[in-house]
Amino acid sequence: MDTATHPDPQGSLIEDLKRGNSFAYKEAVREYSPGMLAVARFYLDHSSAEEIVQDCWVTVIDAIQKFEGRSGLKTWLHRIVANRCKNKLRSINREVATDFSESLDPELADRFNAKGRWDLPPKLKFHESADTLMENDALSGCLDKHLSALPETQRSALMLYEAHQHKSEDVCNILDISASNLRVLLHRARQKIFLMVETFQETGKC
Amino acid sequence: MLMCRDLADIASDYIDGELTSRQNLSVKMHLMMCKHCRTFIGNLRASTDLLKVHSSGRENEELIRKIDERVAEALRERKSDGGTRE
Ligand SMILES: [Zn+2]
Repeated sequence: MDTATHPDPQGSLIEDLKRGNSFAYKEAVREYSPGMLAVARFYLDHSSAEEIVQDCWVTVIDAIQKFEGRSGLKTWLHRIVANRCKNKLRSINREVATDFSESLDPELADRFNAKGRWDLPPKLKFHESADTLMENDALSGCLDKHLSALPETQRSALMLYEAHQHKSEDVCNILDISASNLRVLLHRARQKIFLMVETFQETGKC
Repeated sequence: MLMCRDLADIASDYIDGELTSRQNLSVKMHLMMCKHCRTFIGNLRASTDLLKVHSSGRENEELIRKIDERVAEALRERKSDGGTRE
């Protein structure tokens, strides 16, 4: 294969990281830290999570020498973060508390009658595309607010799956949850966002 | 028979294509007859897309600056004490 005309951008980034190239580190830190933080937030509070992500990057400088590229850099980094978080939880003897029991949001569940039909159906269609909607600064701010109000576990699952586009299998591995539990977390988080956008469209308020 | 509430329960699985073909078919049948659920699925899908657009490219500048500093420091240390590692 002619590598000059078909470069593997991640491959050369990894080589540069192995050589300790500081520009490569800057690039990788910017690219991968938001996802690493999302992983850490599944397990820990905000300031401990930021600390863990910083510590991980320092260990990456040595660990990258042994990285063979089988899993992809992103997944590898996310696993390092998850393992470190789990060790930390073990050392302070705590577990992640998550509610996987109900997949319907209680607020949404209240909108059906006893027969299971809509009592309070969705009134409006979200007619605009996501890109158009996001041009609305007020809505964007509202989304931020609601995202930060989500339980840590739901937000992390949502971020890894939607924003960082991990496959379900990888999210389950990194967060140490079953496939069905991941489905519950994703669905609960999406319903919250749905309810938020609905309120925003109807009332113009967050 | 699949009721609206049941459909709302598995709506994300439908959107992500995670249902069995049998479940998928019963959702499709329900959607043909139920306008409210069509709106619901459409809106839930739009909310999901919104999140994809919104979250990508958001960065925590302060954290990134801190990491850059610590990495730069660690790289310097590594060069000064183990420079012959290659
Ligand atoms: Zn229905």
